[in-house]
Amino acid sequence: MAVGLLKKALPRLGLAVPAWPGVRCMTSRLYGTAAAQTQIHQPDNSVGSDKILTEPLKHPDFFRLSELFSLKDLFDARVHLGHKIGCRHRLMEQYLFGCRLEQDILDLDQTMEHLQQALNFTAHVAYRRGIILFVSRNRQFTHLIESMARDCGEYAHCRYWQGGLLTNANVQYGKGVRLPDLIVFLSTLNNVFQQHVAVRDAAKMNIPTVGIVDSNCNPSLLTYPVPGNDDSGPAVELYCKLFRMTINRAKDKRRQMEILYGLKSQND
Amino acid sequence: MAALCKAVCVAKRGAKLARISCRSLLAFGKLYSTGDTSEFPGNKEDTPTAEKKLSGFAAAFELHSGLQQKHDIAAGTVGKSPGSNEHSFATLLKQSPLVQMGTSKDKVAVGKIFHIVNNDLYVDFGGKFHCVCKRPAVDGEKYQRGSRVRLRLVDLELTSRFLGAKTDTTLLEADAVLLGLLETKPK
Repeated sequence: MAVGLLKKALPRLGLAVPAWPGVRCMTSRLYGTAAAQTQIHQPDNSVGSDKILTEPLKHPDFFRLSELFSLKDLFDARVHLGHKIGCRHRLMEQYLFGCRLEQDILDLDQTMEHLQQALNFTAHVAYRRGIILFVSRNRQFTHLIESMARDCGEYAHCRYWQGGLLTNANVQYGKGVRLPDLIVFLSTLNNVFQQHVAVRDAAKMNIPTVGIVDSNCNPSLLTYPVPGNDDSGPAVELYCKLFRMTINRAKDKRRQMEILYGLKSQND
Repeated sequence: MAALCKAVCVAKRGAKLARISCRSLLAFGKLYSTGDTSEFPGNKEDTPTAEKKLSGFAAAFELHSGLQQKHDIAAGTVGKSPGSNEHSFATLLKQSPLVQMGTSKDKVAVGKIFHIVNNDLYVDFGGKFHCVCKRPAVDGEKYQRGSRVRLRLVDLELTSRFLGAKTDTTLLEADAVLLGLLETKPK
């Protein structure tokens, strides 16, 4: 499997899973060491299945996600608007373009890069049949996010988050529970403007996270932060649309590849 | 123009802003260029050759458009017409209604009602947040979901720093006064 391939290429990397947001490459996000997740899907050792998993890793944008969005789309969806200067988080200063009449403006050039990386990672996780969980505590968009998750066949948790959902899963849900392989935050704050508990818990459980961070959020614990507006309707609708299209694309691609390499291995 | 140039940025973006303010000067120059005859080929009165001596604003415009062309060539942005979709983020921001409006106090905007709860109307006018207004007594039934209304903006985001707090507390709402329905002129 890919884990074996990567361990052969980088023998020392298999055990150390760095949590710093600076490290972006796919090879360091190995699930093999996460104790809570059990690999139920046992890969067969044929050449075809190996190809299915390694082929997407050779291209920087295998799913061609850059054609899904443009700078103009982000601008029209008001993704660049931040909160007032008094609400600014110190760690978000690197993602700001500037401040106009006390309102922070996020740099959409940086947002484009971060969004591309985040969507690419989401697509790869969905391609490998990972479980994706959408989390947001913004009540205005609960219904939208839940219906989006249902449409792409993934999961959403936009309600009250119980303390031990991830960290105490074996006790709360029974043994051998499969935890999400990726958690996507459409808003990283909860209703009292503190960081959502799931951000910290996902980092504890070695679950990679993608999160939309506004100018008052803390981006440090997220694996793939995406600086952007998380309060406006058009912005959140755009994110939902992009995530849904990404995941559907990745799943369709997986089906295509299985047919392609399945036929090839039959013919050989 | 002064208001545009006053858009205060983080220090490391200062150089970028200086270039933007130059461009804004030139953009305003182009808006007022009615008398510059040598540039436009359709003008039959003046001879094709630029023999007529330009003075005053026309001379300054000539000089600055030459400078702008040199700058564009140097920056590699030649060929990007205003109608194309290749605008940079800085250009889009500068030309956006939010920045062109300036301070939001006492500006009239048009909003659309997207949600109604009893007598509260939630109006989205294109800013980061929506505003919540009370249904007025006059023509109350005409305010339904999807109606377009006129607002006088007060603040784009209601925030305040309370005693002992590290950051501002925000209400996640804008503040505006409802002026009435959008009156469309009968044709």
